[in-house]
Amino acid sequence: MKAFGYSSPDSLDAALAAIGPQARPLAGGTDLLTLIKADLAAPERLVNVKALLPRGIEAKPEGLEIGALTTLAEIEEHPVVRDGYAALAQAVSLAASPQIRNLATVGGNLLQRPRCWYFRNARIDCWLKGGDECPAGDGQNRNHAILRGGPCYAVHPSDIVPALMAFDAAVRVVGAAGERWIELEDFMQPPTEERRTETVLAPDELVTAVRLPPHPEPTRSVYRKAMDRKIWAFALAGVACALRLSGRKIAHARIVLSGVAPVPMRAEAAERELLGREPSPERFAAAAGAALQDARPLRHNGYKVPLTMALVRQALTTLTE
Amino acid sequence: MTTRLEGPDKVTGKAVYSSDVRLPGQLYAKILRSPHPHAKVLRIDTSRAEALAGVRAVVSAMNGPDISWHDDTRLLDSTVRYVGDEVAALAADSEEIAQDALRLIEVEYLPLAFDVARGKAGDSKVQERGNVLTGLREADVTVEETYTTGTALHNALESHGCTAVWDGGELTLYESTQGIFAVRDEVAEKLGLPKDQVRVITPHMGGGFGAKQIAWKHSVIAALLAKRAGRPVQLMLDRTEENLASGSRNATRQHVRIGAKRDGTLTAIDARIEFQSGAYKVGGEDSDLTGTYMTLYRCENVRAEQTSMKTNAGASVAFRGPGYVEANFALESAMDELARKLGMDPIDLRLRNYAVRDQSEDKPYTSPQSLRRCIERVAEVFDWKRKRKGIGFAAHDWLAGGGWPPATVEVTLRAGRAEVLVGVQDIGTGPRTALAQIAAAELGIPLDAVDVRLGDTKPGLYGPTSSGSTTLATIGPALAEAARKAKKTGHGRAERGENPKDKTIRTCGAQCAEVEVDLETGEVTVLRVVAAHDCGRIINPLLVASQVIGGVTQGIGFALCEERVMDERLGESLNANLEEYKVATVRDIREIVNATESMPDLEANALGTKGIGEPPIIPTAAAIANAIFDATGVRIRDLPITRDKLLNELNQGQTTFSDNGARNKRGLSLIPGS
Repeated sequence: MKAFGYSSPDSLDAALAAIGPQARPLAGGTDLLTLIKADLAAPERLVNVKALLPRGIEAKPEGLEIGALTTLAEIEEHPVVRDGYAALAQAVSLAASPQIRNLATVGGNLLQRPRCWYFRNARIDCWLKGGDECPAGDGQNRNHAILRGGPCYAVHPSDIVPALMAFDAAVRVVGAAGERWIELEDFMQPPTEERRTETVLAPDELVTAVRLPPHPEPTRSVYRKAMDRKIWAFALAGVACALRLSGRKIAHARIVLSGVAPVPMRAEAAERELLGREPSPERFAAAAGAALQDARPLRHNGYKVPLTMALVRQALTTLTE
Repeated sequence: MTTRLEGPDKVTGKAVYSSDVRLPGQLYAKILRSPHPHAKVLRIDTSRAEALAGVRAVVSAMNGPDISWHDDTRLLDSTVRYVGDEVAALAADSEEIAQDALRLIEVEYLPLAFDVARGKAGDSKVQERGNVLTGLREADVTVEETYTTGTALHNALESHGCTAVWDGGELTLYESTQGIFAVRDEVAEKLGLPKDQVRVITPHMGGGFGAKQIAWKHSVIAALLAKRAGRPVQLMLDRTEENLASGSRNATRQHVRIGAKRDGTLTAIDARIEFQSGAYKVGGEDSDLTGTYMTLYRCENVRAEQTSMKTNAGASVAFRGPGYVEANFALESAMDELARKLGMDPIDLRLRNYAVRDQSEDKPYTSPQSLRRCIERVAEVFDWKRKRKGIGFAAHDWLAGGGWPPATVEVTLRAGRAEVLVGVQDIGTGPRTALAQIAAAELGIPLDAVDVRLGDTKPGLYGPTSSGSTTLATIGPALAEAARKAKKTGHGRAERGENPKDKTIRTCGAQCAEVEVDLETGEVTVLRVVAAHDCGRIINPLLVASQVIGGVTQGIGFALCEERVMDERLGESLNANLEEYKVATVRDIREIVNATESMPDLEANALGTKGIGEPPIIPTAAAIANAIFDATGVRIRDLPITRDKLLNELNQGQTTFSDNGARNKRGLSLIPGS
């Protein structure tokens, strides 16, 4: 860790004026501080935004609005989330540890960096840190991407993001130019040559809220996560599913995969396999196959293909039992 | 039930650990470690670090004393042999300044060729009796397989470290160690001091599991920095250093052949073993992988050969049941495979072959039938015969547990209280409590009238290192004798007598595991482990249960999720942390049943007690692997048994995933283009 300055502006505008590539906003700090301690980030200044952004969950006509500073623990315990957004409540309860959930915010959760063991080791040169190559491509890649991988094969570690995406969440972003809403699916983007991060957020912008549009009852949802142990581990693979039946047919389906791609991704081909059809084991197997049809496993992560397919099938089965 | 006497101090934070020590003027030290798996150190420039305000002392190969260390290398060598090897160190007013100062040290390295994959063959050891080839020819059924185990890291809650303080020419080390006398003697030798000018104090420690039974470099480095600065120096390793440079359980490759008659009688056991010892041989308890092959089962023709393989990785060191844990996985997996081939119940096969005599030393055991008792006990408590899918069994023995003399104990009675003075340390297993119970019982006084003093070399009462699960069996009998003397005269002193010469003291045991496997996701859930071990007379049932539960938990980690991951191209560990090196959590253990019975072994010592610290981890991995086979029909011979290995095997030759009408031999082949 290198020494850094600290400021606590008294308005959002002042905070927006203060932040930039070398001045990072600090909320829960559960990811930023680990990056700093591991010499993966060395900002000159931390800008405290803990008193400036909204915190709490509010049911509005446009949907459920979750302030950026809302902690994961608060989401987990919220009755509306538990009742109407089961996948989100489950994803939160499977994320990190209770201590971290008490500190970590939903805004920070979207912005956290990958846990790739090459990326997280400051001694190792890697593409995501600005280098030329990804050492995971032909290295120890059992935890890495099987979909949309390359040049970086790190996976986004969030359990929350796939659950939010299953509810078509949008993100409110503020910057000097004002405020805008972005679909979460568009907000999360694999890193590019020019932007080696996992979101389109600019260094001088802040996430202020996440919104889940209202969904007609009865939409059922579930989050399933595979780990190397029962708890306190990042997903080897995960799937968030939301499903609504009309009569006996599937009228709405969202399948979002985590732990298998640079950012959580909707499996639209799988969703198409379900729409307008009746639930059945064969249908679910077809959806699972479609979800992984573009998979390109690396040397050590081929197991993620059958694993993710099984999670998709099991999630769909759970929702239609 | 007697609970730990030191429990309240621990849960209230009153207990002082090495990192809690605060002395006037204390400095904080950090070590600069090699970023290369193998390199020549060409140049070290510490001038910028020395110039930083708050830096009080710096030591490196360029300015340090020439102190020899393991093999024929130096304390700060001009060649580094693994990522994490010590290059230089400094002490400063705060940890933060020390960390900043490390960045200012300039080192020029010449990288050299390295190997972290298989390694270069080093020492070999062979044990043999009879003729294995003859035995295999006589066999009706044979099993021949290769088993591998990964590198496991101790990850005691408290890292290695100490606080060093000089008073004139005398050095005191507040050290997190399981061997206060071992550290005293080694540090005195390295610094060229008489032993009585080094004092080692360990009031409490947060675990060692074998990795703290020797003096590591940090102790001498802290002493050198404290001498130079003229102030106390604290040097605690952080978790990364702990996982790079303070020992590991050696990875192994074991080629095993077993032969048996149709009725299950063993005719031959043959094991050829390679184990990775890392960059240095650091001392402490040896990893004996051959031992259990020679002794667990009755067999005339046995050969076991182990070869250490040097790699450019942190050194291996004793880890709870060293050698036996790794070897037990292979031997007891092979025995399970043999039982299946024979169509025999795995427990019946063991009952036909368990040893009642030490065949290596050609001596009887002090408790020849205790292994049988453990096997029968565990089968009964587990309800083995009403078996369901997913159950596995393993037996084990262990080379130690019977006490390692010498040791001296003093008991003094004063104003209705008894003071017990011993030279051992509490590695965390609770000897304070067990020793107080022995003294109270012998003296006929209440437990709270006994004060146990331990963890200090100053009184000069030697006690052994906490290794081999021997503390209670070493100290206990001498303490009982000293207490008897004190009862008469007010003061008693006793030496631990020799172990019996004509018989071998053995600890042993057996475990059954029940698992559930999701055949689609490869998730393994260990539903239940039942454990019965022979630890002689049980002094404190709660402390025994603690060791059984802890050992089985660690065994579940070894079986299912713990493994150091190295990048072979970079020579670098990728998971030197507690995030990606995954120890078992409270959620990974459902039910652990301690079925251990008290079986006083009065031929071992007058108190009849033996150790239990290490044995419970030994058979767990094999029992779980055997249960996974029972549940799935898939035999994984490579620890840890992770989802990737299970799913790759489960999907082999099966048509599990039939999406889009595609039929697949392997799970992966249905993916277009792959």
